[in-house]
Amino acid sequence: MKKLFLFMLAVALALPAMAQEVEVVSKQRLLEGVEGPAYYPVLNPTGDRLLFSAEDGALKLHDFADGVTTVVTRDYVAGNDACFGGDNKVYFVTQQMGEDHLIYRTGQCFDVLTRQAAVVTPSQHGAVHAVPATRGGALRAPQQNYDSSANIGEAVWTEESRVHVIVDGKERVFSPVDSWAGYLWASLSPDGKRVAFFAAGKGIVIIDLRGQMLAMLGNYEMPCWYNNDYLVAQNAKDDGHQFTSSQLLLLKADGTWQAELTKPVSMAMHPTCGGGKIVYSTIDGLLYEMKINIHE
Amino acid sequence: MKKNLFKSMILALMAVFAVNMASAQQPHVYINPGHGGYDSDDRNMVIYPFVQGDSAGSWESKSNLRKGLALREILQKKGYKTSISRVTNTTADDLALSTIVALCNQSGADVFYSVHSNATGTSARTNFPMVFYRGYTGSPQIANADVLAADLEPYLYASQNTVWTHNYQIWGDWSFRPEWGTQGYGVLRGNRAVANLSEGSFHDYIPEAYRLLSFYYCWMEGWNISLGADKYFGRLNNYNLGVVTGNVRDDRIKRLQECAQPFLVYGDDNLMPIHNATVRLLDAAGNEVQQCVTDTLRNGIYVFKYVTPGTYTVEVSTPKHFTQTKTVTVTANAPTYQNFYLKRVRDTPPEVLEYSPVWNEGDPAVKCSTPIVLTFNWDMDSVTTCGAFTLDPPVEGNFKWEDSYHRLVFTPVDAFDVSTLYTMTLKKSAEHGGGTPMVEDFTMQFLTQPRNHLAELAVFPYEGAQVHYKTPTVELRVDSLLDSYNLFQRLRVLDNEGNELDWNKRSIKYNKRGDAYGFVRIPLVKDIEVGKDYRLILDVDIADTAGIHLPATRIINFTGVDAGADKPGMEVVEGFESTDGFSVMENPTYYTESKITASTDRLFGNKSLQFAYVYNFDIEYYGRSQGFIFDEAPAVKFSRGDTLGIHVWGDMSYNIPSVILSIPCDGYSYVWPIELGEINFHGWRYLEIPLDLPADSTFQLYGFSIRHNHPLMGKSGGTIKLDNLLKKASSGIDETRLADMKVNVAGDYIVVSADTWVQGVELIDVNGRTVKAAGGNCLNVADVDHGIYIVRVHINGQTATHKVRL
Repeated sequence: MKKLFLFMLAVALALPAMAQEVEVVSKQRLLEGVEGPAYYPVLNPTGDRLLFSAEDGALKLHDFADGVTTVVTRDYVAGNDACFGGDNKVYFVTQQMGEDHLIYRTGQCFDVLTRQAAVVTPSQHGAVHAVPATRGGALRAPQQNYDSSANIGEAVWTEESRVHVIVDGKERVFSPVDSWAGYLWASLSPDGKRVAFFAAGKGIVIIDLRGQMLAMLGNYEMPCWYNNDYLVAQNAKDDGHQFTSSQLLLLKADGTWQAELTKPVSMAMHPTCGGGKIVYSTIDGLLYEMKINIHE
Repeated sequence: MKKNLFKSMILALMAVFAVNMASAQQPHVYINPGHGGYDSDDRNMVIYPFVQGDSAGSWESKSNLRKGLALREILQKKGYKTSISRVTNTTADDLALSTIVALCNQSGADVFYSVHSNATGTSARTNFPMVFYRGYTGSPQIANADVLAADLEPYLYASQNTVWTHNYQIWGDWSFRPEWGTQGYGVLRGNRAVANLSEGSFHDYIPEAYRLLSFYYCWMEGWNISLGADKYFGRLNNYNLGVVTGNVRDDRIKRLQECAQPFLVYGDDNLMPIHNATVRLLDAAGNEVQQCVTDTLRNGIYVFKYVTPGTYTVEVSTPKHFTQTKTVTVTANAPTYQNFYLKRVRDTPPEVLEYSPVWNEGDPAVKCSTPIVLTFNWDMDSVTTCGAFTLDPPVEGNFKWEDSYHRLVFTPVDAFDVSTLYTMTLKKSAEHGGGTPMVEDFTMQFLTQPRNHLAELAVFPYEGAQVHYKTPTVELRVDSLLDSYNLFQRLRVLDNEGNELDWNKRSIKYNKRGDAYGFVRIPLVKDIEVGKDYRLILDVDIADTAGIHLPATRIINFTGVDAGADKPGMEVVEGFESTDGFSVMENPTYYTESKITASTDRLFGNKSLQFAYVYNFDIEYYGRSQGFIFDEAPAVKFSRGDTLGIHVWGDMSYNIPSVILSIPCDGYSYVWPIELGEINFHGWRYLEIPLDLPADSTFQLYGFSIRHNHPLMGKSGGTIKLDNLLKKASSGIDETRLADMKVNVAGDYIVVSADTWVQGVELIDVNGRTVKAAGGNCLNVADVDHGIYIVRVHINGQTATHKVRL
């Protein structure tokens, strides 16, 4: 009798999860016939601007409102790690080769209104990263950091096997899971209450702002918050040399549900979310915009 | 605005200053040991004594990690900052490619090395280092990635611990893998460091797979990559310690072929690597500086790490070899390679321990293909031993050494003579590898059997055969059971342009124990072309299970034809479209297992008639012939001079089928069998017979029979298929023979002989048309189409006719 009760309870609990489903409402090519192959797309939080890296490596900004695409910089690698700050400016890093063959990196800020770029951290050897914050942006560097204002709001980023969280002007550092190789791809949920990041060898981890682990969502990459309850991530497979499949998944932030947004053969990569949109690129540089409905 | 502009200008100036003032900062190297774990994508090479999946065996993931960890250790000692993507070999550490790239980018590394080994992916074996960067060759996507590669490869290629088959190669991955477009290697894609993917060597070259099991060997690749980094960053003079390394091998004992399949070896890899050799590094005063012992993993590698520059002695010793020493000079931040070839201690004279064949007077004779095998107590010197070998009577043959010169095999080029007593002597001048001769001559004798070659019983296609074009079947039959190993490689069919046709190997049939003769039967994959000439080549190496081979390679010419081609002037008498109207001939006493069925394998219409007949050899008379009858004879009748044609599918049974005609006679049927010839072929064939029936009689079709013919073949029965039976009425030219006149078709000629003068010969086709004529008694018919003809002979004022088949 007890077993029967437990079974019924399990069925009752499972029903809502089984009933949950996602519907891909639309999927359309972006910048078709306008731009060549494009990679590493980044949407701003409201989804009306898009950063991407062009075939020649140039970092470009596309404005959905007027359809204008602007070159932010022609530095080859700038697009790999650019971000929108909460002030709607673009923060990015360029790099220069020294005579000693060391790489020197420079933090820059691009004002989307004036379409002017400015150097904000000097060229320095080592890791320099653009960090989006709710009220602006930052550049984290080994010798000289940059914050766009005295109070940049909330910000999260990773370094080695640490996730850095700034809340109320205070920086905290957490290492909630063991990961030899390091953490990557930290982002703050839209309501600013949770942090998603990727721990190499472990997968996507959700923590609160005190560093308490809330969920582990599986060994997928590049999580981005679709809304406060769901994330989109990349599920890529390879043979050690090249990609053999890559798809996008929709993951519930509490780890209780997930669904395919594209098939593994879609070779869909680098998802980015903003304003209810999902944008991604394919392995050969086609940009797509996807809209979904989640039925709960 | 001005303030911001000023600030930007200052920062930009600082950037230029920082770049040009080349600081003494630590270079940062990100190391990615490729793959991870013991999974299907981790490149397990199955080499003896390890089995598939054994984590102790050869895995690219494992050797990559060892190289990567060595590189990290060495770079740290040299003052570099390092990051590494994994430090254990587990599936969980096998990070996704995007993750590895992102980790490298986050680390801020200056350069990135993805450490791998290569494989051909084919049956070819090769060994050389390769390195890749992102972009087209000569146009890297990240500046200086080609420079980093060019700085690395000479150090890898300088390694004398391995055997290289080719020079090193440097590629942009877009050029190397054009089929991938600009996707390239995953760890180079999006990587902001100056990135290389290094394939240090080829792990499917088996001796290399053994070397990659060596910690020392992997460490040395890490060392050589560090030199590439030093060169790139201009730091070659920054490190003051060196390395001594090398390979310890026997000076003449061959490497054992211990894997499941023989493997290719090149150069010094032919020599046996020495296990458990103690290698000591001694300073000028003879003091031991370092010591290491070669492992037992068939590689012989030793390394002395972090050695202070200077002159040293390297001493190598094993219990079974003479100790060897060599002087080496160690220089700072450079490898010193010193290989050793040790001489084995051989402290007794050589002698024959075992020999074969062992034969004594009265023993059964040995097979003529039997090789002579001598097994020695030591590895022998090839020149003096082969020179000391004599056979009486002499036989031309080949020597082959096995087991590292411990076993000598003499194989006759063809075969020993039959029923011959041979005496083999190995004179005492034969020496072992150390130069000591035998104490006395060695002698043995053997008597050979009366058979020394494989005898061909039958083959199809035979010389000049007309072979129906539809996926022909080839069959060879010989007098003993064939050795089936790779037999299909010893039969080849070539078209007239020399192109080899493929066998349908899945349909190959071999003899089995108990069969009356040896055979191999195999169809071609594709149809042949009608009218085209082909060659079947039977290689001399086709041998029976005792190694007795064919006397010589045979080349058999045949031509593709369409057995179902239109036959002008012929009318269809029976189409064999259904089994209705046919009955198997029953024996009133014994049940016959023969069956008539309809077959979809046909030349015309929808079906052919298949007759699967079974002989019962317990019954002397009825068991040797089987047949079926027409329940009701077709209306068409046959007379003298008519031609009967029939399409027959044969199984090379060598049995003889007959179409049986009959004529009513006093209330009975008088039967007249028309033999169609031996079924010495496979597939469809058109058979045409001129009917030499009694004059002034009209015959009707009665049935069909097939009788056993060959003492070995077709004994139990067989299968035959029949399609359209045709008739061509007589041309009106009847045979009129003269006594003592003979007409022979001899090769390309018709030759008429008679007791009197032959004035001329004409060849007339079935339509009464003279095709060819000549004076005298000979007519060349080489250029005349095959078929039935009348030869009209003008002889001593008379005319005679004779039917011939060309």
